[in-house]
Amino acid sequence: MKIQTKIENTPLSPEATRLSSMETKRRGKISALETKNPGILQKLMAMGVLPGMPVTLLRRVPSYIFEVDQTRYAVDREIADHIYVSY
Amino acid sequence: MKLPFIYPGAECSCRKKGCKQESRMPKIVLVGNPNVGKSSLFNSLSGSYTVVSNYPGTSVEISRGKGRTGEKEYEIIDTPGMYSLLPVSEEERVSQRLLFEETPFVCLHVVDARNLRRMLSLTLQLLEAELPLILVLNMMDEAEERGVEIDSRKLSQLLGVPVVGTVSNEGKGIKELKAAIEEFSPSKTVKKIEYGAEIEPYLAEIGNLPETGGESRISTRALGALLLQEDKTALEWVCRDEKLTKEAGCPEKSFSRLQQLTEEASRKAGAPLHYLIALKRQEYVNEIVEQVMTFSGTKNETGKEKEEEEEEIYGPLTGKAKHGAKKLMLAEKVDSILTHPVLGIPVLLLVLYFGLYRFVGVFAAGTVVDFLENTVFGEHINPWITSRFTALVPFPLLQDLFVGEYGIITQAATYAIALILPIVGAFFLVFSIIEDTGYLPRLGLLVDGMFKKIGLSGRAVIPMVLGFGCSTMATMVTRTLETKRERLIANLLLALAIPCSAQLGIILSVLSGSPRALLAWAGVICLEFVLIGYLASKVLPGRNPTFILELPPLRWPKLSNIAVKTYSRMHWYFLEVLPLFVLASVLIWIGRLTGLFALALKVMEYPTLWIGLPPDAAVVFLFGFFRRDFGAAGLYGMYDSGALTAVQLLVAAVTLTLFMPCIAQFMMTVKERGLKTALAISAFIFPFAFLSGYMVSTLLAALGVSM
Repeated sequence: MKIQTKIENTPLSPEATRLSSMETKRRGKISALETKNPGILQKLMAMGVLPGMPVTLLRRVPSYIFEVDQTRYAVDREIADHIYVSY
Repeated sequence: MKLPFIYPGAECSCRKKGCKQESRMPKIVLVGNPNVGKSSLFNSLSGSYTVVSNYPGTSVEISRGKGRTGEKEYEIIDTPGMYSLLPVSEEERVSQRLLFEETPFVCLHVVDARNLRRMLSLTLQLLEAELPLILVLNMMDEAEERGVEIDSRKLSQLLGVPVVGTVSNEGKGIKELKAAIEEFSPSKTVKKIEYGAEIEPYLAEIGNLPETGGESRISTRALGALLLQEDKTALEWVCRDEKLTKEAGCPEKSFSRLQQLTEEASRKAGAPLHYLIALKRQEYVNEIVEQVMTFSGTKNETGKEKEEEEEEIYGPLTGKAKHGAKKLMLAEKVDSILTHPVLGIPVLLLVLYFGLYRFVGVFAAGTVVDFLENTVFGEHINPWITSRFTALVPFPLLQDLFVGEYGIITQAATYAIALILPIVGAFFLVFSIIEDTGYLPRLGLLVDGMFKKIGLSGRAVIPMVLGFGCSTMATMVTRTLETKRERLIANLLLALAIPCSAQLGIILSVLSGSPRALLAWAGVICLEFVLIGYLASKVLPGRNPTFILELPPLRWPKLSNIAVKTYSRMHWYFLEVLPLFVLASVLIWIGRLTGLFALALKVMEYPTLWIGLPPDAAVVFLFGFFRRDFGAAGLYGMYDSGALTAVQLLVAAVTLTLFMPCIAQFMMTVKERGLKTALAISAFIFPFAFLSGYMVSTLLAALGVSM
């Protein structure tokens, strides 16, 4: 697994989408994180949500539930919008 | 949450200030991500007890205990979970500060073996800080169940530190860990991370600044990295040194040089430096993980496998992993019900109905309390003690103090043992079961949307539910909330609308005779909770919090852990309650001697009459000043003697629920939020509680309702 070290503020890859609009139960990979809000960015990174990690969205309602590696997270829409995913 | 230490031989539990003895014993510090089993390991190593549950953020304070391995005695220190050396929340900062200040003999970095990839980054940071380290791979059993295998020898080689695998809640691997601690010597060959051209030059320059040369427990390189990421603690540390060197004449100039460097670095990099640094570290982590970790099962990676695929997927697995897969399937199904937007609600209501109403309200507060208070104490113990005491001590004054109407034995001890303890114990039992399954975080995600309307995030569910047990504990746990605004709203709502278990149990039991009154009470309290939360979120400046929570796996609660946890919480509670109850008895006694009690009662009679209660009820509210549960106990007494009508009971219950937080909670609010805020909260609550009582009573009278 190679991490993308080049930083872009918006991911330009055509398939890239936000976690919030990701298809449920389809495996993807985190391609980048939104860097505009340092607080959220720092939290996500500290919790191990990092570019290059495999990700699967399990649920949208009542909160966004997704799995990274072996751990499950629940987040709200705002945070789900901070994670960019590609398939 | 840190609760009492139950270890006898210790003179100093270090909860009190002023007993911060500088221990000569070598220190073992447990650090690691939240919910990886640090506290559980702490308990095995030290023979003390600190609360263990199944959600991130159980420990918000540092716990200290003593432990022995072989010949040597150690001081063992448990810390709140931290994701990274660069903290985001307050409880992480507590741990970070500890690492800045303590000189450990060894740090045990505890990780969840399943999630090595997410957790090794902190290991690398701790190594960079040049802390003496042993890596503990905990929850090896769960990792194996998921088909995760880790080559710990290889990992140890790559990192240059000892690596030990454990299953802390079953005590597996503890012997090996103790052996590793005994043999431990700090390694010199630690893997160094290169951060690349955007970071390295700045790191070097910061390292050369005079301020970073001070005597810090963590390496200059790690300090420099924190400074580049604008960490508050690191800055404070530097400022501290700066004060020392102020006479040397170097202060602000080089300090501003630091800021200049940080700004320049992040401008040139075009991205936040902590992002770059984290990515770089993760590259190293991935490299390591690739070499030491293998998967033989992939079940949990997507959670979408169909059952018919199962055989195919798990065919080549070992027996353990196969068994694990079955267990996971079940957990998966339960989980999808608990987190279901529609099905989750009936589950919640069932939990509330059986756990709270039937068990705590009807069984504990009704049946058990009735038996203990009226039969055991009322018919046997108290009459016996009273007659003995009166015979032995012929002074009416002393008789009054000990066995009078408000006496230490007849009131304080009876209330504490016969009334409060069974209810609180029942609640803590239910709560322990619920928290060990991992249900609370799931409840959090279920209500996040609703909580946002009152300025809280789903994360606040944990302190709120705990508040139904003891608001004092819950106030302490609000520390896990991320913004000041959210913590303030949570503290306010805890003080106002969340009844503690003793109060709740008594109210449920007192009102259980009239379902309409019970529903009306619940309705009014819910309404107040939502209304005040909503108003507070409108009035207070700042943004609504965001919600992010790690969901721990669903687990079967372990009986031994539940028993020990319930016992330890009851123990803590009892020790806190009894002295205050006794104090109340003594104060009332003095008050009655001097006439102050009558005066205070007279004053309290005005608002009591105003909300439509008989003047006798004033005493209930006066008690309420001491402790919420004490007031509730007084209410129970009035109910028992049939002094109140159903409507009056309802009004009294509403007012008492909303009424002043007890002294202990008030003190905790002062500690967490400061005196001014705590006073402001109280100044709002006191009149508001009576206003609500007044409105309920007037409304009911106007409608001509009788319950």
